[in-house]
Amino acid sequence: MYPANMKTVRTITGLIAFVVLAFSACMRPGRQDTRTLTLAINSGVEGDALKQAAQDYEAQTGIHINIAEFPYANLFEKELIDLNAHSGAYDLIMLDDPWFPKFASLNVLSDLSPLLQKRGKSGPDDDFVTASLALCREPYQTGTLLALPYVGNSQLFFYRKDLFQKNTLKEPATWDDVLAAAKAISEHETTGAAGGGKIYGYVMRAAQGNAAVADFMPIFWAFGGEMFDVNGQPAVNSPEGIAALKFMIELGKYSPPGYASFNADEVGAHLLQGTAAMSINWPAWISSFSDAAKSKVIGKMEFGQLPGAKNPGRAEIGNWLIAIPGDAKNVEAAMDFLLWATSRDQMKLSAQRGNPPTRKSVFTDPELVARFPSYPAQLRSLESSRPRPRTPQWNEIENAFGIYLSKANSGELTADDAMNQANAEIKKIVERGK
Amino acid sequence: MSSEENKEGVGDSVSGVGSERTIPYLLLAPTVAVLLALTIYPLIYSVKISFQSNSGAPTFQNFTRLVSDQFFLSALAHTFVYAAIALTIEFLLGLALAMLLHGAIRGRNLFRALLLVPLMLPPVVVGVIWRLMLNSNFGALNGTLKRFGFNTEALTWTASPKLGMAAVIIADVWQWTPFMFLILLAGLQAIPQEPYEAALVDGSTPWQTFRYVTLPLLKPAILIALLLRTMDLLRVFDHIFILTEGGPGFATETLSLYIYRTAFRFSNFGYAAAMSFVLLLLTNLISVAYIRMLRAQDA
Repeated sequence: MYPANMKTVRTITGLIAFVVLAFSACMRPGRQDTRTLTLAINSGVEGDALKQAAQDYEAQTGIHINIAEFPYANLFEKELIDLNAHSGAYDLIMLDDPWFPKFASLNVLSDLSPLLQKRGKSGPDDDFVTASLALCREPYQTGTLLALPYVGNSQLFFYRKDLFQKNTLKEPATWDDVLAAAKAISEHETTGAAGGGKIYGYVMRAAQGNAAVADFMPIFWAFGGEMFDVNGQPAVNSPEGIAALKFMIELGKYSPPGYASFNADEVGAHLLQGTAAMSINWPAWISSFSDAAKSKVIGKMEFGQLPGAKNPGRAEIGNWLIAIPGDAKNVEAAMDFLLWATSRDQMKLSAQRGNPPTRKSVFTDPELVARFPSYPAQLRSLESSRPRPRTPQWNEIENAFGIYLSKANSGELTADDAMNQANAEIKKIVERGK
Repeated sequence: MSSEENKEGVGDSVSGVGSERTIPYLLLAPTVAVLLALTIYPLIYSVKISFQSNSGAPTFQNFTRLVSDQFFLSALAHTFVYAAIALTIEFLLGLALAMLLHGAIRGRNLFRALLLVPLMLPPVVVGVIWRLMLNSNFGALNGTLKRFGFNTEALTWTASPKLGMAAVIIADVWQWTPFMFLILLAGLQAIPQEPYEAALVDGSTPWQTFRYVTLPLLKPAILIALLLRTMDLLRVFDHIFILTEGGPGFATETLSLYIYRTAFRFSNFGYAAAMSFVLLLLTNLISVAYIRMLRAQDA
């Protein structure tokens, strides 16, 4: 063999080794000392507040904080892959509450109770809204504490009080009231713009997936529907469930055409332009209505409680939680930060940065109530809110359910067929998960 | 020192033969290493997980589930409907444009340049542009139609199970017809003048010239254009994801979207890998058919 060949073999081996090493180096974050924390956050108003808080914390304590920021759509998959691989890349992660059961079922989050006890606390303090704290336990409400609630969103019922007064309508207490008001407003009101300027009585999101399901659940629950019966079997095609979907389609007649593909942006645009009068929506939108650059309806929008039917109206909860991965490199320092960030003072700052709190004392803080007049309504909605069905397979169930809801709203399927097919599909998903 | 140098000099002529042999390997080594790390290993890994359940146990379930999964079957159907319609329109339009701009017309270069603009946009941007234009209440398309007195109430585009597919196909045609045009124009320009002169001498009509001279000589370019577009269309993702996210309902969900959802939303990587292999297999079968046709042409 030529000596040069040996050299080549060595060079090639060397190169391969180099590439492999380079890759493994990329995959494994450098060793961290106890003065560094890494946070995975959502890029958006919720994550921004935490980012600013982290900068304050860094200045106060000298602990260095790395921020890994991801858009909502990628945050879940990033966190799931990292936690599943036990890479210990993050010390703290932000979670949207529907994801929580998945992470809890994988056993990848730290139990916070021993960490609290170490700090002389028997548990999380009772200033947290019960409904928010309940989300952080697995099983729901009673189980192990695996996170703390950071942003306290829950749905509200948005409606145009000026149009209601003009048509002598009272705040809608039931979904029948909503339908009657939608009809009256659609028939009598116009924006006065050229070409008709139609005002639609109601506007909703019925795009497949999260949108359709979130806008349907409060109607579904109010009509007495439950996704799972007492035996844990899927039951969306119960008579109550089908009646709720029929009602949604009826309400759709007073919604702008094309609502079967609407997401939050389209609904927001209709409300801000004054071309729709009512909707279920989330608190993040409230501030836009008093912004002259965006809103044609300044001072005309009211934010109330979800209407009821057979059952009292209950909003869907949508909280952001913060958890410590089980493989976090710096559990103790992470816990200190978590307690600091969810403390009353910090949460007040976060509220001023635009995030609804999860603490009662912050919701009732006079300074904040003066600035955010809808806080009392938000607290009431949050306290009586309901979580989405708690299952690790929620993403897949929501996707399937949303497809059939969207199909029913776009006229592709009847309400009965949609619910029967959705139920069969949910059953399959649940079976697969066993 | 000098004797050492001398030895090196002698050695050079020997190892010169050796390095001529080894230099290609050396040059290929980085590429091979990167391919191994980024393509071969993931490929083997995805074969492995496609035969595993979520808990890691070996299983054929991921493949047996395909046949009974309504979502998979309709996504597969949508993919083929989408690819077939878009391919046909893009090909016919591209060919017509290439024929038109091959001839000597005024402003030929300007038209050619303008036609290429859509190709330079990222598909995500195209998705966003069309999403804004097709918005049924505030969009440019319905707004224009309304101005001319049309009733646009029923034209909900991305929200309509019937028009949704049309909407995503229109966006694709808009972006990718220029690609067809480009390849076909290059093909046209490569055809020598002589066959045309011969046809003229024989008194052929324009249609006969097109049918019996242009088309056969353009066939290699046509097949290449169709092959590339077909492979692209079968894995379409970006602009549908932006325009409709597969909706309304499931009306525009293609296989790539469903695979993405299964893997990254439902964290079922095994099933997603199984579906990817089906897509890969189908794409390969179609490509082989095209390549056979190309070979037949050469023979």
